[in-house]
Amino acid sequence: MKVTPENVRGFIQQGLECEHILVEGDGRHFEAVIVSKAFEGKGMLQQHRLVYQVLGDKMEKIHALSMKTFTPEQWAKLG
Amino acid sequence: MDEKQVALEQIRKTVTENPIVLYMKGTPQFPQCGFSGRAAQVLKACGVTKYVAVNVLEDKGAWDYLKYYADFPTFPQLYIKGELIGGSDIMAAMYEQGELQKLIAGATAQS
Repeated sequence: MKVTPENVRGFIQQGLECEHILVEGDGRHFEAVIVSKAFEGKGMLQQHRLVYQVLGDKMEKIHALSMKTFTPEQWAKLG
Repeated sequence: MDEKQVALEQIRKTVTENPIVLYMKGTPQFPQCGFSGRAAQVLKACGVTKYVAVNVLEDKGAWDYLKYYADFPTFPQLYIKGELIGGSDIMAAMYEQGELQKLIAGATAQS
């Protein structure tokens, strides 16, 4: 079954409370922008690890995921 | 030692004995995945000419077990002085912030 960007968004939201989330993709390559309070106090590596942990086994269905992670504060500054 | 322990020990040796190691699909000249290609491009943009690139498509131990080494499930992965820095997204973001260049300068100055 082909994974859609909506599926990926759902997978992430199931395990991570997001202030904002945008996922785009063609079924093999996905790009996600994720804003979550859970990222506060974490470096980028820990933030990405957290998203991968939330996705768990589902990463095997997702061929490639590119992500940008932000805390709500960082996101607000980006305007 | 079982297969996993052997593979993890090999990874540990590789990343601790070499200042900069990129695990990637393919080679810097012929990357086999867009993210791996981008990672090699970022290193090139940082002015890194000498680093160890491990082609995970030809290294079964790394292919099967690298994800367990630093709890990171995707390729590519960049290690500087034995520490996982991240994948291509993190490399690109750190490059834009000028942070990756600093880390690399620190790692290559000592070698």
